[in-house]
Amino acid sequence: MSTENMSTKLDRRSSKHAKWNLWLNKFGVYFMVILFIAFGTLISDKFLTVSNFMNIIQAVAMLGIVAVGVSFITYSGHFADMSVPVIMAFSGIIAVGAVKYGIVISILLGIAAGLSIGLVNAFVIGKLRANPIIWTLAVAFVMNGFIRWAYSGNQIYPDVESKGNVAGQIFVNLSRMNVFGSLPLMVLVMFIVVIIGQILLTKTKFGLQLKLIGSNYEAAKMTGVNVSRTVGLAFILSSVTTSIGGIFLTSLAKVGAYYNGIGYDFNAVTAIVLGGMTLAGGRGNAIGVLGGVFTLGLLSNIMTLIGVDTFSQAIVKGIIFIIVVGINAKSLRKLGRDDA
Amino acid sequence: MGENKSGLALSMNHVSKRYPGTLAVDGVDFEVCSGEVHALIGENGAGKSTLMKMIAGSFSDYTGEICINGKEVRLSSPSIAKENGIEMIYQELSLALSLSIAENVLVGNLPTKGIFVDRKAMVERTRDRLKRVGLEHLDPLMPVKDISQHEAQLVEIAKALGNNPCILVMDEPTSALSREEVERLFKIIDSLKKQGLAIIYISHHLPEIFRVADRVTVMRDGKRVGTYEIEEVNAGKLVELMVGRSVSEFYSSRSTHLGEEMLRAEHLSRYGFFHDVSFNVRAGEILGLYGLAGAGRSELGRSICGADPIDEGEIHLKGQKLAHKNMGQALEAGVAYLTENRKTQGLALRLTVGENALAALIPKHTKNFFYSGKDDKPVLDRLISDLQIYPPDPSRTVGNLSGGNQQKVLLSKWLSISPKVLILDEPTRGVDIGAKMIIHQAIEKLAGQGNAVILISSDLPELVAMSDRVVIMRKGHLIGEMNKGEFNEETVLLAANGEGGFVNVN
Repeated sequence: MSTENMSTKLDRRSSKHAKWNLWLNKFGVYFMVILFIAFGTLISDKFLTVSNFMNIIQAVAMLGIVAVGVSFITYSGHFADMSVPVIMAFSGIIAVGAVKYGIVISILLGIAAGLSIGLVNAFVIGKLRANPIIWTLAVAFVMNGFIRWAYSGNQIYPDVESKGNVAGQIFVNLSRMNVFGSLPLMVLVMFIVVIIGQILLTKTKFGLQLKLIGSNYEAAKMTGVNVSRTVGLAFILSSVTTSIGGIFLTSLAKVGAYYNGIGYDFNAVTAIVLGGMTLAGGRGNAIGVLGGVFTLGLLSNIMTLIGVDTFSQAIVKGIIFIIVVGINAKSLRKLGRDDA
Repeated sequence: MGENKSGLALSMNHVSKRYPGTLAVDGVDFEVCSGEVHALIGENGAGKSTLMKMIAGSFSDYTGEICINGKEVRLSSPSIAKENGIEMIYQELSLALSLSIAENVLVGNLPTKGIFVDRKAMVERTRDRLKRVGLEHLDPLMPVKDISQHEAQLVEIAKALGNNPCILVMDEPTSALSREEVERLFKIIDSLKKQGLAIIYISHHLPEIFRVADRVTVMRDGKRVGTYEIEEVNAGKLVELMVGRSVSEFYSSRSTHLGEEMLRAEHLSRYGFFHDVSFNVRAGEILGLYGLAGAGRSELGRSICGADPIDEGEIHLKGQKLAHKNMGQALEAGVAYLTENRKTQGLALRLTVGENALAALIPKHTKNFFYSGKDDKPVLDRLISDLQIYPPDPSRTVGNLSGGNQQKVLLSKWLSISPKVLILDEPTRGVDIGAKMIIHQAIEKLAGQGNAVILISSDLPELVAMSDRVVIMRKGHLIGEMNKGEFNEETVLLAANGEGGFVNVN
């Protein structure tokens, strides 16, 4: 009797421990955010100011918009979309090209351009079951070449393309304008994307079935989930948010070019994994991803404040990625999930 | 040598291992002598596999003391276990199918000449090892995929013997073997025993244990119940020890109320798998579907539920033609299929009991785009108590549950939507007696509520006891059917082999 009592007590304690571990996996990234903020405050008095924080959030807004979209793919166990940079470049360049028809048409056509790549990815990966990394890498190469061929390697400029139309100026302002007083539009869009993403992932049939797919593709299939359609939808959603990010990026750069968006694929995956989504799939959420994005933003900001150059920053980010993936795999194994 | 108990090969003193939430092995003492076959039995979840994983060096965080040949060792990694002469043979073979026998047997220490593999030495060494397991007739250069299942099992043993182990652990080594092959394996085990090897033999089949073991240790709930000389015990006693209660009525007789025809298959074919199959099943009926491996049973089940296509023929559900293009549509109509492969196709092991059990309910509980979880809790509570899922906590990760409880979760996924027709493919494979009884009761209850059940099972006692009617498949054809009272284990098996008397439906 007494031994039984003891073992149930132990049982309860370790179950609490497991729950704590799960919680840590879900939102633990915000501890890192707090840690970075504390560290930043210590090393520079310029750090803890409203304007600096606005800078940080604005700097990562595009990454946030992109990463939430890509996180659908990670969540489904299909790793990532390596065609993210080319989708950003393509949507941006098409939007610039269409700016002469007005700003609304320009934005819609830009998103449609990125979406078209997403639709192809959705079909080839969702339906034909191509390897997501290899396929999206191939798409990135082909589309990159196509854009350079189509524009003869040239960049195009919104102010030139608009032919004096006011839309050119609006396009450039998209990434610079504030709404509700001093809230940058980009940041507003990022929060909206995060909220929609969080709801989609946790409150809808799509999200719940995506989790099942990410946890065990075959089991999801044998539970009657339409796996092709659901995985395809993840790639389509990713391409849409990536296009929105691409249009903002192009607006910020004031130029549509094939090289826009370089590095966003890798940064997005780093933010996603930092945010508690395992590459194995089926774990994590959009709010966590946002935390990952903030972490990267704080890291860049602090490194810039203490005078680390961009090349070294890239190295640091790469190393962090490796460490995070390692810790992630290890903590999952500790929870008894060998398959993660 | 050859003398029992010539020395302790392995002794484990008060070892324990904790998973999050469960103490899988709880202060167990276990010992094996050289030249002894020591059987280890227990229900799924009793802690056998965890104890064996401990011996194999899978855990670095166990507590207690392990001695090998009298010397204390810390088995914290698989390579340390191997160095100490421990070899495992698992249920699932670990051979690389496209490589040759020789490459598989000598993996990790292929003989080399300079930087190249020395093929001649490789062949010779492999032949030596194959001789020890009675496979001298095999060509060492043959790829493993070309040899039979039984030979592969022996090759696996030859591979393990190559490292000159002193302790050999065999986990259900006969699950894929025929009767004669099992006998041949036992002869080899006998000869290994004479060579002084300590063998730990894990099995669910009690007759095998009485044939091969010298002593038997029974485990229950992570603890050792006792160790007995094999002469001291009989099958009934062992079952009682494993289950912890006496199993008087294993299969209860149930009264069946057959209703109207629920599902009718008309001339179904899927080219290359099954041909011109016609049968029906009525409401409240449990229809047994039997056939030897490769007869097309599972393929038929998968096609009916929409997981695989149908090339010809029609399915009628309650008199209406079922025109499903995929599993989702079949499910909507009320036809579900419980896969035989729990781990790869059945459950998402990383998710919780609740998430798995409710997986099939997601579309039903989605209204106006949003999933409503307000009905989740009562449904879950009912499933967990009906199937006595242990631990009764829906937030547990399924992968940490025992095999029997995993199987219950898998079944609960379909019970949650009460399908009109449920096709069960090996619903109790590798499941202990306690869980089996609960699963059988749940199946009978489902049928009793006026649903139809198609039971595919290789477990003849189960099939015979559960079914109201049995249909037999052989080589892709449905060759006959037998009604309650007309069949027993023997006639069903004979029919599946194309012999014996049965009603031919064609």
